[in-house]
Amino acid sequence: MAEAVHPEAHGHAEHESTGVDSRKLGMWLFLSSEFLFFGALITNYLLYSNRTGFNIYPREVYDIPFTSVSSFVLLMSSLTMVLAHNAVARDDQPQARTWLFATAALGSVFLAGQVFEFTEFIVHYDMKLTTNPVASAFYVLTGFHGLHVAIGVFMLLSLWGISRFKGRLSEEKGMNVEMVGLYWHFVDIIWIVIFTVVYLIDAARV
Amino acid sequence: MASDSHHPQHPSISQYWKIAGLLAVLTAIEVSLFYIDDALELGALNVAMLLILAALKFVIVVGWYMHLRFERPMLNRFFAAGFILALGLYGVVLAAMGIVAIRGS
Repeated sequence: MAEAVHPEAHGHAEHESTGVDSRKLGMWLFLSSEFLFFGALITNYLLYSNRTGFNIYPREVYDIPFTSVSSFVLLMSSLTMVLAHNAVARDDQPQARTWLFATAALGSVFLAGQVFEFTEFIVHYDMKLTTNPVASAFYVLTGFHGLHVAIGVFMLLSLWGISRFKGRLSEEKGMNVEMVGLYWHFVDIIWIVIFTVVYLIDAARV
Repeated sequence: MASDSHHPQHPSISQYWKIAGLLAVLTAIEVSLFYIDDALELGALNVAMLLILAALKFVIVVGWYMHLRFERPMLNRFFAAGFILALGLYGVVLAAMGIVAIRGS
């Protein structure tokens, strides 16, 4: 097998026939496959959203100002994530920890907002998971996205914990920060699509 | 994503902040469009503008925050393949069910 050393190696051996670190390649492939997963859920929502005859539609109960703020929070968490990775690369450990924690905090705020939104829909509008197919499609789509955010928050806090209690985030572990960063930014771009297609465009039809 | 020290072509910290500002502005325009549409009933034009703004935000995050524009072409192709496959597959489903036509009308 031909060996090639990627010029972007972070101080660790990187002998891959592709010239790209296997973990990085695997992450990009995983993220690429996630388009099909979320694409199916968004399509499912759009199909049911266009059907008539349901007693209630998510677009009738959206709180656009609230969701806009949530979206902004998640968008800004991408900034803190990239700053965390930049700090690791500069070997600025305190800054790296701060930005990792800030990213996890912003992700948690987004999740709290989602829990609040779901609670509002269920308690005030009686729109539950089993109310009708369009409600199910909405909760499954946004719920799975929320699950991805929760997994991201867990990974971020794990990195923070490793840095805080087990030692510094080294160049070697910089790849771990990079992997979590790629995942986090992907969760953000999926929300960019959901916010526009499922919230703004769908709510404009009311 | 990789370090600036190893990748001088990557954005600097100040550029990351500027990109965040641009993303915030684009989001503000999106939300404004939603309310403008309430008053002016732009219809398909509003949908088109919202989709363009979302696409811009998508490209900015993928290109600059995920550093895909600085990565090897192979990674670009892998990522694009999944996106184009999903877009094509579900685009056909939505078109077949008449959803795209309904939204465009």
